[in-house]
Amino acid sequence: MLNTFQQADHGVLPEATPEEAARQEFVKSLKHFIQQGILPGLGPVYRTRAAKRFEKEAGRAPADRHDIRKAMVPDTYFQHYAAVNRISQELLWDSVIDSIDREGDALIERTTAATAANAGELRIAEGFEVPRYVSSLDIHCMPGGYVGRPGHDDLRLGALYDRGVFLYAMGYTGPDNDDMGRSVCHYIKARLKGFSPKRILDLGCTVGHSTLPYKELFPEAEVWGVDVGGPMVRFAHARAGAMGLDVNFAQMNAEKVDFPDGHFDLVVSHILLHETSGKAMPQIFRECHRLLAPGGYMIHADLPPFDLMDPFTQFILDNETYYNNEPFWGAMRELDQVKLARDAGFPAETIRFDTAPMAVMMFAQSEAAGYSAEASESVAERDFVAGEFAPGGGWEVLIAQKQD
Amino acid sequence: MTDEIAPMLRSAKGKRPSFYETPGLDQMMSMIMVLAGEVSVLADQVDLMQRVAAEKGLDLAGGMKTITLDQDALEAREARRQAMLDRLFYLMRKEAAEAEAQETSEGYSQVIADIAKG
Repeated sequence: MLNTFQQADHGVLPEATPEEAARQEFVKSLKHFIQQGILPGLGPVYRTRAAKRFEKEAGRAPADRHDIRKAMVPDTYFQHYAAVNRISQELLWDSVIDSIDREGDALIERTTAATAANAGELRIAEGFEVPRYVSSLDIHCMPGGYVGRPGHDDLRLGALYDRGVFLYAMGYTGPDNDDMGRSVCHYIKARLKGFSPKRILDLGCTVGHSTLPYKELFPEAEVWGVDVGGPMVRFAHARAGAMGLDVNFAQMNAEKVDFPDGHFDLVVSHILLHETSGKAMPQIFRECHRLLAPGGYMIHADLPPFDLMDPFTQFILDNETYYNNEPFWGAMRELDQVKLARDAGFPAETIRFDTAPMAVMMFAQSEAAGYSAEASESVAERDFVAGEFAPGGGWEVLIAQKQD
Repeated sequence: MTDEIAPMLRSAKGKRPSFYETPGLDQMMSMIMVLAGEVSVLADQVDLMQRVAAEKGLDLAGGMKTITLDQDALEAREARRQAMLDRLFYLMRKEAAEAEAQETSEGYSQVIADIAKG
C-alpha cells in the first residue's frame, strides 16, 4: 500500500513551505516504513535468537512481557527499531515547529481571528491546576506538551498537536484527524437506535479532532469539549470556528468537570484514559456517572486491555510506555475497565467492550486528497498488528448506560 | 519571525532513553536519519522543479532523459562525485595517513609530555 493520505487545510493549520512539507512527508513515510518494513522482523528476531539468548542466561523461557523486554533490549535489530521509531517521533515535532516558528505572529493572528467565527463558548480557568500525569512528562515527546510552560503556553501548541498528530497517525484517522469521533458517532447511530443526545461532553478533547463530528452528526446537540491543556482548547475553539462549527470548549479536568449532576446524556472520550493515572481513571468513570442523566451513555474509545493478548504483543505495545513518554500506557491496559464502570455505578448488564468500525472508507468516498480507495481499504480491512498505528478495522469502545 | 513571541520549545520533558550500549551511537543514528530526511527533501525539490517547469511548458524531465553529457559535463560530475566520497571517507583517509606516519596515541601523549618540559 502506498500511503498518500493528505491532511485537509482548515485555515488554521501551520503553513509549510515546500521544503518543510517535504520534511514532514518524510517523517510520515519513515513511520510507515518502520511499521511495514522493520516491525515485522521483531517476531522472528525474538523467536530465533533473543528468546534463546534469554533462556540460556536465565535458565528458563521468557514468561511475560517484562521478560521479553529483557530479552529484546540487547538485540541490535530491536535497538535499531526502537531508536529509529523514537527519532521519527522527534523529527516529526521538529518538522512542524519549523513551520510554526517561521510563521510566527501570522499563525496566532489567523487562529485568533477564526475563534470569532465560533459562536460556542470558550472557558479558560483561572489558576487551573494541571494534574501530575500530564505535567510530569511531555506526552508523545511533543515539546511543551498539552499545557506548555510559562512563556510557552499559547495556542500554537494546539497547531503543533494538530499537524503532528496527522503525521503520527500517518493520516489513518482522516483528513481532519477525526476518525475516532466519527466512528463512535456512526456506532451510536447504528447500534443505539433512537438515541439522540441533546447534550454531549467530550473529555480530554485536545484540539477537538474527535469532538467536531458530534456536532456534525448531531447538529441540534449542545457539544462541549474539555481538556486540561489551555493551549489545546483555545486552538480547538478556533479550529471549530475555521471549520464552521459552533462547539463549546473549556479548560477542565475530566476528574472534576464543572457541570451539574445529570447535565449530559452522552459523555465520550477518545484516547484519553491511557494518558491519565491509576487514581484518575476510576475517578473519571465516577465523574461520567455523575454527569450523565438517567439513561445516558458513557463511551470511551481507547486501548483494549492486555488480558486478551499474548505476551509478545503486549511487549510491542508497551514500547510506547518506555519510549514515547506514555507513562500510563502499560498500566492502564492491566486495569479491569468493566469493573471500574461497575464500581462507578453503571449497571453490569449495560457495560461492554465493542468495536466501532473505522470511518476511513468515507474519506475515500468523499475524494479527500490522497485518500485513494485502495489505500483506505487496506487501512479499513487490515488485521490488528501490534506496533502499527490504530487497530485493524475498528476502534475498541467501552460502553455503559446509566440506570434509567 | 518577529521579536515579540517566544520561539517554540524544541525539547520534550522526560529523560530520553538510549537504545545502544556504544556511546555516541544514538546521536549517530539520529544524524543518519536527519540526513536521510534531507536527501528525501532534495529529491522532492527536484521533482517539484520538474513539475513546475512542465506546467510552464518546459519538459525538464524529458530533457533530463535525453540529454547527452559532453566531456566537460562528464568530468565535472565525476569530479564532484569523487570529492563527495573523499569528504565522506575523510576519517579513513586520516587513519591511513596515521598508519603511514606511524602516529599512535602513545606518541601523541609523549609529545604533550615533551612539550610541557620544553
